[in-house]
Amino acid sequence: MNPFGILIGIVTLLIIGLGFPLVIRGERYFGYWSWPYMMGIGFLVIVVSLFIQNDWGSVVVGVLGATFVWGSTELKEQAVRAELGWFPFNPNKIKLPFAGVIKKWRAPHL
Amino acid sequence: MEINPLGLTAALTAFLAIWLGHVAVRKVEAEARDLRIPILIAIALGLLTEYCSLITDHLSLKTALGILGVTLLWDAFELHRQENRVKHGHAPANPNNPRHAKILAEHSTATTLDLLKRNPVGRPVPPDEAPKLIHH
Repeated sequence: MNPFGILIGIVTLLIIGLGFPLVIRGERYFGYWSWPYMMGIGFLVIVVSLFIQNDWGSVVVGVLGATFVWGSTELKEQAVRAELGWFPFNPNKIKLPFAGVIKKWRAPHL
Repeated sequence: MEINPLGLTAALTAFLAIWLGHVAVRKVEAEARDLRIPILIAIALGLLTEYCSLITDHLSLKTALGILGVTLLWDAFELHRQENRVKHGHAPANPNNPRHAKILAEHSTATTLDLLKRNPVGRPVPPDEAPKLIHH
């Protein structure tokens, strides 16, 4: 009996927990239209995990990437939460490149 | 350089398990008359999945089951948290569910409206305007 899977599960839970502040702060400072950036970072991190030979390292980096991809799908709803006053609303968000174009795209939500 | 697919396996499992849990928690919480039953089922499935992860020798399967089991256990906790969201009006109450009907009667903040079902407008939205913006 090897507890690798259980330990990975616990570590995954902790990494997913990082996703909550990631979404909250990401939306607050960069707006929900930062979603392609967050998604892109997530996919890139998952690709990096493929080249890590250490199993623990590969899994931790892979789950970190998945957290970023999932977080990108939560940004739109988080923006609505902030508008409703459930979270602090920041009117002076940092505009990332192509923000105007991205705003016209339909933001993903699962 | 050799490719290690374990991280990708973990990433896919984590993403799909979060997605599945996210959808299932909302649906089950809205429909369940007694929340203790789905909470117990989620805990039992989570523990069973973790046991399967413990006894299998296949590393990818062990990883996937370990992640799936923990997310199931977390979903049990999320069912409870979802009920609190309904009480605060942060998730819609189902008036056809007697448990939710009771929440609607006892909590003035509870609502049948899904206030998140809309696109952001880029400014703070006062409570009286929020229902008008919902996509029907």
